[in-house]
Amino acid sequence: MIKTEELQINIGPQHPSTHGVFRMLVTVDGETIVDLVPVFGYLHRNHEQIAEVNTYLQNMPYTDRLDYFNSMANNQAYAMVVEKLVGIEVPERAEYLRVLMVELTRILNHAGALGFLINDMGAWQTPLAFGMREREKILDLFEMASGARMMCNYFRFGGVVRDLPPAFMPLLKDLLVALPAFFDEFERLLCENEILLQRSEGVGVLPKDLAISYSVTGPVLRASGIPYDIRKAEPYSIYDRFDFDVPVGSVGDVYDRFLVRVEEMRQSLRIIEQVLEQLPDAEGDHINPKAKQNVRPPVGDAYARIESPKGELGFYLVSDGSEKPYRYKVRAPSFINLTPLGDMCRGYKVADVVVILGSIDIVMGEVDR
Amino acid sequence: MTIQFERGKVVVIDRGARKLRVGQGMLKGMAVVWHHWLKSFQKLDNFSKTAGVFTVEYPDERIKLPEAYRNMPILLYDDETGQELCTACFQCQRVCPPQVIHINQARNPETGKAIPAAAEFIIEYDACMSCGFCAEVCPFDSIKMDHEFELSTEDHAELTMNKAQLSRPVSYYERIAPTFWAEVKASAYKKLQNSVKRRVDLIGIAPQMVEKVKAMRAAAAESEATEAAPSSAPTKPSAAETSPATDKAAKLAAIRAANAAKQDAGNGGTSTPEAPAGDDKAAKLAAIRAANAAKKAAESGEGSASVAPAAPEAPAGDDKAARLAAIRAANAAKKAKDEQENS
Repeated sequence: MIKTEELQINIGPQHPSTHGVFRMLVTVDGETIVDLVPVFGYLHRNHEQIAEVNTYLQNMPYTDRLDYFNSMANNQAYAMVVEKLVGIEVPERAEYLRVLMVELTRILNHAGALGFLINDMGAWQTPLAFGMREREKILDLFEMASGARMMCNYFRFGGVVRDLPPAFMPLLKDLLVALPAFFDEFERLLCENEILLQRSEGVGVLPKDLAISYSVTGPVLRASGIPYDIRKAEPYSIYDRFDFDVPVGSVGDVYDRFLVRVEEMRQSLRIIEQVLEQLPDAEGDHINPKAKQNVRPPVGDAYARIESPKGELGFYLVSDGSEKPYRYKVRAPSFINLTPLGDMCRGYKVADVVVILGSIDIVMGEVDR
Repeated sequence: MTIQFERGKVVVIDRGARKLRVGQGMLKGMAVVWHHWLKSFQKLDNFSKTAGVFTVEYPDERIKLPEAYRNMPILLYDDETGQELCTACFQCQRVCPPQVIHINQARNPETGKAIPAAAEFIIEYDACMSCGFCAEVCPFDSIKMDHEFELSTEDHAELTMNKAQLSRPVSYYERIAPTFWAEVKASAYKKLQNSVKRRVDLIGIAPQMVEKVKAMRAAAAESEATEAAPSSAPTKPSAAETSPATDKAAKLAAIRAANAAKQDAGNGGTSTPEAPAGDDKAAKLAAIRAANAAKKAAESGEGSASVAPAAPEAPAGDDKAARLAAIRAANAAKKAKDEQENS
């Protein structure tokens, strides 16, 4: 019997595969992971405290900077919680525009996340470029509607800041032609690839019970086989008007997370197509004309949550009746999905850590806040 | 077992059948890559295509930015008169999330009273988060978001922009965002006229236009002086108000117009059935009448040297007097209307 010795090493905080400033304190025995402790906080920006000295409206652009891949989804969650707190009604058309934007966000997030996951597996840049190409088109649409590609700041209390420009719809319709072709192509490119299967099948398994006890949400939870999607479990906005399926995995490994995301992009496309069908009949303006942006909510608290592309994104606000929130709390999916990383990695090789981390799909801006 | 939702179901992802792996999946993927390589000599100019080159050769080639694009805030001023649209109302300073806007209200140097213009306007571009709230809240459509994004500099302090660096002519914004400007143009200019009335001297003129406006005003004054009696030609730009003769004529016209307006208002809608509100119509009529009266007065005055033509900033003094009379008449008509409503 060979006597081996355990060794502690740091992966990160400055490491290209950690998706930002994130450190993993890894105990290895040879190539095998004995223990892994995620260490975060390197990108702490005092987000929640800043929010408490800002007015309610001023926080809207700050939410863009949480998960900078999905600023539209962050905007929606924050707009929803303030609307709940103040009691603002959202016109139907605004709801459709919101759903349209958030579902486009889901597609671009997953296209980017899968590209980066394959990048982590060693397929340097080529698959990522496929995802980025489609993401770029969606960002062009966002820029047209909101004025910015990533920091959209498009939502307001009671609606969205402006209606779609005339040039938006033709481009979106063109994009809807391209997206199914892109999904098929992406699957042909990767889903049967032997290297991808070798690197992802049976790697980083997160069992159902563990996923629940860590309160993991989003595609990671669904890949573990639990059909939990807030759009179905507690339909918010107008999600009860759309037909779409919830893809779940059966094993809970990296490959399942990959496939669940590919299928989710298809389901998002289904929703967008239904939005376009129903949008012309939608009543109301793009924003509730009575809604004041300079809100002063009554004393109380509210929590609103959405199914963001990464999981359950929730905002909790406590109001003391002034124009600034008394307490502002973000339930960040990236952060909570990252906590079981140690359990997911234990027993696998060092090279798998990077892939497992990539499959969780984190954005450090949201983890550390 | 499949779980059924109200609209949709749970789909268990098909992981594919286990089969012999000898590289067929990789070949399949390579076929996709080769297809794209072949297409990479074409331009992807349409969103409905997935293959082709979609990058552009920046900086030689640039994508046209959409109108809504926002980068950094700028201040607008009127092309011709150089008057800034900003009135220092502090709305943008209040709403700015990172608090990077700093405004100093302009004051009349003689009386110390606030003037609707910014004495200094500073935006720290380096801390600006480009959220666009300032442009959204601006009631005077003065602050707008620029499309210029090549702002890199070697010196950090250079990104603190003062009023001279922030000011752009309206025509510049009209070029980058034509439909956005068309929507607000009329109201923006109307509000500008109101604030220009309360400005004195060169306060409220965009810094880069100050010299030009000075020259323009001097030239106008000179031409006026040569046209009429040189001895009585005023040099102060606000002399229009102080010139007694024109003023008198204008006032007279205003009174006449006001009386006419009152009469019209008394008649009510009966005499003007096509107008939705008789008073409104009357006011307009009064303004026209006043303008005509003023013109006549000015014309008759031109012959005699006793009337000093004034208003150097206006191309012709008569014009100014007429405008003044029209405004006064409109005010008088409004007052008459109010009185009538109250009684």
